[in-house]
Amino acid sequence: MLNTFQQADHPALPKATADEAARQEFTKSFKGFIQSTLLPGLTPIYQTRVARKFEKDHGRAPADRRDIRSGMVHDIYFQHYAAANRIAQELLWESVNCSIDRQLPELIEQARALSASSKAQLVMPEGFTPPRYVTALDIHCMPGGYCSEVCKDDISVGALYDRGVYLYSMGYTGPNNDDMGRSVVNYIKRHMPDFTPRRILDMGCTVGHSTLPYKELFPDAEVWGIDVGGPCVRYAHARAAGIGLEVNYAQMSAEETSFPDGHFDLVVSHILLHETSGKAMPKIFAEAHRVLAPGGLMIHADLPPFDLMDPFTQFILDNETWYNNEPFWGAMRDMDQIALAERAGFDRADVKFDTAPMAVMEFAAAAEGYSQEASEAVADRDFTAGEFAPGGGWEVLIARKPLEKRLAA
Amino acid sequence: MTGEEMTEAERPQVTRHARGKRPEFYETPGLDHAMSMIMVLANEISVLRDRMDSVERMAKVHGIDLAAGIETLELDQAALEEREKRRQDFLRRLFYLQLKDADEAAQAQTAEGYSATIADIALQD
Repeated sequence: MLNTFQQADHPALPKATADEAARQEFTKSFKGFIQSTLLPGLTPIYQTRVARKFEKDHGRAPADRRDIRSGMVHDIYFQHYAAANRIAQELLWESVNCSIDRQLPELIEQARALSASSKAQLVMPEGFTPPRYVTALDIHCMPGGYCSEVCKDDISVGALYDRGVYLYSMGYTGPNNDDMGRSVVNYIKRHMPDFTPRRILDMGCTVGHSTLPYKELFPDAEVWGIDVGGPCVRYAHARAAGIGLEVNYAQMSAEETSFPDGHFDLVVSHILLHETSGKAMPKIFAEAHRVLAPGGLMIHADLPPFDLMDPFTQFILDNETWYNNEPFWGAMRDMDQIALAERAGFDRADVKFDTAPMAVMEFAAAAEGYSQEASEAVADRDFTAGEFAPGGGWEVLIARKPLEKRLAA
Repeated sequence: MTGEEMTEAERPQVTRHARGKRPEFYETPGLDHAMSMIMVLANEISVLRDRMDSVERMAKVHGIDLAAGIETLELDQAALEEREKRRQDFLRRLFYLQLKDADEAAQAQTAEGYSATIADIALQD
């Protein structure tokens, strides 16, 4: 499959010169090459070289992902693979960053004008302090993280995320980077055709990639996106305005929002939980439960837990923890999310994991570079550790708040 | 103030480095840096190749089929010599350090000799 996917333009998106665009395109190609051509080599390297050496040295086979890692880090093939992955990530951000740096005041001006044209709310509280789990490291090596501001009304890291994440995902999440949100909405429409949420909250929305499909497919709903990153929230508001959708955004933590009890019928998040912490995750579940109306749904689309995978697959996935500034990536996969939901107030019988099939094939007809064949190839893959996007579908945790709280016996 | 009104010093600049210690993948010192530099250069070669492709496509829009012309271009003796000279110059620059090593050997320049020279010069008045 030749990946020629192209991001859809919108008025808030940074514009690239021909050389900047070529530089960015190369980073997407490089990532694709690593996943399609270097990644498969790790299996024979492990089986024929590393596992055998481990057995010779320790008198037993590698038992878990830690054993596997201890052997793999000394193998030259793995070193080249891991170094290439890291360098691709660095090239990717830098290729977008130099383009944003060239046009930053103009991008800020454009975002301001777009935001002013929208009737939707933009709430930026004074003196907001983002949580440490987001600021201690720049997550996925994105320079500046989600929260850094280099000037007044800054949107730079929001713009960086918008373009960078498209390259990171190699377009697998569609021309608007919205496949996760779109897939969850499709899932709801298919399984619960009568469910029509009046108010929807997207927690940890960054620049609103996954938020917009909810407004598009539930046009009468009041939709809110919240995030701890100020520049991301500003950019999200401008981006939605530019695309022509009225979605409200606020700088707020999913652990503690300012919405009243029972305000929303649907609370969602997409790839949020693995960027929080062991202490924040239970609070986020509890807050989702609090702001949900009786009968409302909480849906978190994130990474599948480790206990569903063999140790070698776990090892490959855990490379993100060690090499891509993802401190909670591994630990989050060891959390019992069903138990967390129960502790937050959901009934065990109303909580489950399911798969929301990828919506990527829907893009094929309309979007530039999305051939039917290539889109189907993305959607129909089997799960392969180390590739972006699971193939088949996104893992979702779904919990329904009881209609009436039963009285204690 | 709009972007146009700002001086170069007044324009805000994005953050270029990600917070968090970078891991090292290789045991040989410096190899992580060298691999990064090689990939940055590979990136720029790819940019140039894309730009040449754009040149050919733009020329074609204006009625000049450069791509076909390039395939059938016959090099005369002067062009052959020019290219060969350019390739040899390029290889000489690429192998600069190896050639420097050979030159030092030829002139019997050593690290010890270098240190001795520094010491000698320091003692002169």
